Amino acid sequence: MSAILTLAVKDLRLLLRDRVGFFFTFFFPLLYSVFFGILFSGTSKGPSAIPVAIVNEDRTPASDEFVSSLRKTSSLALDLVDSRDAAVDLVRRGVRSAYVVIPPGFGDASQRLFWGAPMRLEIGTDPGQAMTAGMIEGLVTARAFERMQRLFTDAQAMRDNARRSLEAVRSSTGLSGLQRTLLETLLTSVEALPDMFAAQKSAADTQPDGTTQPAFGGWRPVEITTSQVTRPAAAGRPRYPSSSFAICFPQGIIWGVMACAATFAASLLVERTRGTLPRLTVAPFARWHILAGKAAACFFTTAGLIVALLFVARLGFGVRPASLPLLLVAILCVTVAIVGLMMVLSVLGKTEQAVSGISWALIVVLAMLGGGMLPLAFMPPWMQTLSDVSLVKWAILALEGAIWRGFSPAEMTLPCGVLLSVGVVGFAVGAGVFRWSEQR
Amino acid sequence: MLRLVGLRKTFGTVVAVDGLSLEIRRGEVFGLLGPNGAGKTTTISLAIGQLRPDAGTVTLDGAGSPADPHVRRCIGVAPQALALYDELSGEENLRFFGRLYGLGGSTLRQRVARLLDFVGLTERRRDRVATYSGGMKRRLNFAVALVHEPVLILLDEPTAGVDPQSRNAIFEFVQTLKSEGRTVVYTTHYMEEAQRLCDRVAIMDHGRLLALDAVTGLLGRADRPTVVVVERAAGEERIETADPKAELVRALDQPDVLGVRVERPDLESVFLTLTGRRLRD
Ligand SMILES: Nc1ncnc2c1ncn2[C@@H]1O[C@H](COP(=O)(O)OP(=O)(O)OP(=O)(O)O)[C@@H](O)[C@H]1O
Ligand SMILES: [Mg+2]
Repeated sequence: MSAILTLAVKDLRLLLRDRVGFFFTFFFPLLYSVFFGILFSGTSKGPSAIPVAIVNEDRTPASDEFVSSLRKTSSLALDLVDSRDAAVDLVRRGVRSAYVVIPPGFGDASQRLFWGAPMRLEIGTDPGQAMTAGMIEGLVTARAFERMQRLFTDAQAMRDNARRSLEAVRSSTGLSGLQRTLLETLLTSVEALPDMFAAQKSAADTQPDGTTQPAFGGWRPVEITTSQVTRPAAAGRPRYPSSSFAICFPQGIIWGVMACAATFAASLLVERTRGTLPRLTVAPFARWHILAGKAAACFFTTAGLIVALLFVARLGFGVRPASLPLLLVAILCVTVAIVGLMMVLSVLGKTEQAVSGISWALIVVLAMLGGGMLPLAFMPPWMQTLSDVSLVKWAILALEGAIWRGFSPAEMTLPCGVLLSVGVVGFAVGAGVFRWSEQR
Repeated sequence: MLRLVGLRKTFGTVVAVDGLSLEIRRGEVFGLLGPNGAGKTTTISLAIGQLRPDAGTVTLDGAGSPADPHVRRCIGVAPQALALYDELSGEENLRFFGRLYGLGGSTLRQRVARLLDFVGLTERRRDRVATYSGGMKRRLNFAVALVHEPVLILLDEPTAGVDPQSRNAIFEFVQTLKSEGRTVVYTTHYMEEAQRLCDRVAIMDHGRLLALDAVTGLLGRADRPTVVVVERAAGEERIETADPKAELVRALDQPDVLGVRVERPDLESVFLTLTGRRLRD
């Protein structure tokens, strides 16, 4: 044991002596995280959009159109789900911050705006997200108004609408003569309405707190029922990134730790070519101690790097982990996988240069596949499936799971299990194939 | 002390060591002499358990095979290829290897200080090895072999690439070790080193043992007689003789002689006799 420690300390000392190597190990991933964090934080699409589940129970052309208009709203990340229950569940688990249900009758109601039951929408939000709830309500109302406005700019649709409303008024029994006259007058002067609705729409858009004022002093073209979805305490924090840094730091970390694997793999080769490895092999301990020492050095450096970067992320960029214990588990698993990767890389070439070259090629491929360059969410589905083969995917998932995805311990099992297996199998295979002496 | 029996090692199609058997005695300086590629380094590597032989055994007196880590504790080796961390200082290198042998605390400190002094690197101890000269690296490489005070020390070409001064220093180190009663195996392709330092010398070529004897015994095997060379203005005259003293006296009597010298058979000529080739081409 003390031999392993001695070997590891020597490697850490060598790493510290190598200023350039040290710089790349610690500052490159930091630069990466900060650079891309800032780059992505500038765009309104993507990570900063509010994740909303939408259920279309109406399934009419009108409701479909409404869904697609919401989809075009940049500040909403819309996810169409099949059932109300599924949507409620997503919010309860924190995967989405709100759900919107378009109940049956929405399409009918939108065909006759001025009479009968208004268009109805149901919104459910996480009570911890009052601001978000208000914003969603505002945005949904705005889209509903927009829809009406569009109906009125279409002359034919407008006439149809007025006609249907008039029919409804005329056949109604619950109206006084005066009311009837007023409504008929109103509906026959529909040409004036588009401007009116346009004005209403902009009013809805500009409410500072995001809520909408009822139009026409009590008459509401869209009626929104809100409900709160209480999340069980165990569900932790919401499952979407607090900022682009919550995405870019895990990515930067993965780059950094893979560079660590490459560095230590190459250092094993350097020991062989410079002759220190033969000297180590004649020291009074079994050979696996030497690999264990290298693994320990790689382990400490990798874990130290992750912790250091997460500290910077926390203190400098407000990235708070959802669960500290799970984050520690994730760090451990990523580190183990990196040690396995190191061992595999060390047997891919005969010289330091060959191993460094091959390592980088492999790292770039793994990162490309696994979402280390472009986040997986932006990839086509087939590529997301293909990414399963890259440990980068699982490493990012484990870190994100603990940082912002709010994974439960059960959900952490898959990525962590994959990482641990990669680590153990990689190390065993690499150590088995490793050549102790140079074959010229 | 160290017994090698029927050792054989091949690298691909190259037979580096071919059925080698030797016994090294306690307290002697044992020379392993042979041209480049003779298999000296491979023999050392096999002897210290760094390479596994294809056939044959290595046994260290009373301890067993050096394949066993515990046995390796009493062996020290200064490899031909320098085995040092360039980015660490001389002192750090010694401390690191000392720790690997379980040393620590004041024992390690004292031993490191003594060894640095022994090899004359005390002043440069804090400098990175990368800044050392070739000779300094050799001396440090040598010191590292001694840090755990082994009883058996194997030095693989310890004078390769060093200036005459460092070379003499290394000769003195070896003699000191011998006087301390340690066993030294010394490989070289410089016959004069073997002649000067070694009690017994094994001559190797193509992985095989050609001869093994004390230096005087080996010299007797040369089929070349002693030659007295008489230098005159016109040129050199070479006189083969069994009685060099008489030839010398005779030559000195002659008026036109500028100088005389005696060429005794040396290990070089023994090698020539044994193989028909010169030791160094
Ligand atoms: N690791 C190796 N891979 C392939 N061939 C090797 C290896 N080590 C030694 N050889 C071959 O084995 C033979 C013996 O080599 P070795 O290094 O033992 O010779 P040596 O006597 O030490 O030579 P030198 O005086 O040049 O150091 C040579 O032909 C060499 O090419
Ligand atoms: Mg050699």
